[in-house]
Amino acid sequence: MFDIFKDLIFSSGFFSLTGGNMVMWLISFVLMYLAIKKQYEPLLLLPIAFGILIVNLPLTFLMEPEHGLIWFFYHYGIELDIIPPIIFLGLGAMIDFGPLIANPKTLLLGAGAQAGLYFTFFAAVLFGFDLQEAASIAIIGGADGPTTIYLTSKLAPHLLGATAVSAYAYMALVPIIQPPVMKLLTTEHERKIVMKKLRPVSKLQRICFPIVTAMTIMLVVPPAAPLISMLMLGNLFKESEVVERLTKASSNELMNIVTIFLGLSVGATMTAGTFLNPKVLFIFFLGLFAFIVSTSAGLIVAKVMNLFLKDKINPLIGAAGVSAVPMAARCVHKVGSEANRRNYLLMYAMGPNVAGVIGTVVAAAILLKNLG
Amino acid sequence: METDWSKVLEVFGSGIIGVFLVMFLLQILTQLSTRVIDAVENRGKSADVETDQSVVSAKD
Repeated sequence: MFDIFKDLIFSSGFFSLTGGNMVMWLISFVLMYLAIKKQYEPLLLLPIAFGILIVNLPLTFLMEPEHGLIWFFYHYGIELDIIPPIIFLGLGAMIDFGPLIANPKTLLLGAGAQAGLYFTFFAAVLFGFDLQEAASIAIIGGADGPTTIYLTSKLAPHLLGATAVSAYAYMALVPIIQPPVMKLLTTEHERKIVMKKLRPVSKLQRICFPIVTAMTIMLVVPPAAPLISMLMLGNLFKESEVVERLTKASSNELMNIVTIFLGLSVGATMTAGTFLNPKVLFIFFLGLFAFIVSTSAGLIVAKVMNLFLKDKINPLIGAAGVSAVPMAARCVHKVGSEANRRNYLLMYAMGPNVAGVIGTVVAAAILLKNLG
Repeated sequence: METDWSKVLEVFGSGIIGVFLVMFLLQILTQLSTRVIDAVENRGKSADVETDQSVVSAKD
């Protein structure tokens, strides 16, 4: 009897606990608090936080290669590139590209924000990260979770947890991070600019857009194919209006299911051994830098475009070129309406916002082409 | 490990230029396709109006 009791005690996880495990529990509880109480990106932060908690319980072997339950989710979902493209399918089925089709110039604003990403790449290399790690950190500036996960899993899988949590955390903090940058880089007069009314977009134009975009991007940057093809397929489902069931399945059931596996797998990569080192903490700092620089680059490109445009654009919409949809656009609208209460910028900002999604995928594909 | 700065500059330069080029190309193609569709749809609409008018005048 005593032997059984002794055996039970010594085979339990208690005796294998480390200080690092407990620090990770603390991080997990903080993320759970942010997700549940503050509702910061709860759909992802909550499974990520739970993933961190359970993978840091000793002797569970949940991430044991070829054996652990979550390792299978991670291996088949992320390492084999299944989950991020499926998330993009759902995203495509939800996104309205109408404002972008009505004003295609805003595609350049989506590109502008990605310029910031390359400055961060440069900065990360200066701070001692290798090129693959620097690219994985830089993509945080694109403010696109699935693309960050996709690129990091290919270039620097050991940083997956840190870059993913950093990307989702900063996306949730858009309303806090972006407004000061917007106000710093624009004048009161610029923020008051009222833009020309958007032209109506026909159904045929909406249907043609995903086809033209998929063909163009995949022909020019083939590594973008997995993400852009799914994004545009989802959008074609939506705009064709003939496959309502597929549209709903993509944007609801399928997306919700893979979100659970994605969050859990990403969280489970954050073991004490991989996460608790100064390099990872530095990633959070560089992620913030990436986000600020990308926002600034979008604003600057909008200001430069105004030098050549007859119908001026409100430069604030350049900040929506980071692809945190639709939070960045809402933030632009809020700052714009503070300067001019009659200015309704939301629809105008949605153009660069969805262009940012495409831009981030293109930027990631170019990084992959050069460094993969 | 020694940093390959020529590679860094290559990634930096080709990245910025590449993203702008791809997005610019997409902008041109989007503008082109929407204009073509506008033209086709407007032509279709004016053809419909003409047909309606000829039906009305035939009735008269």
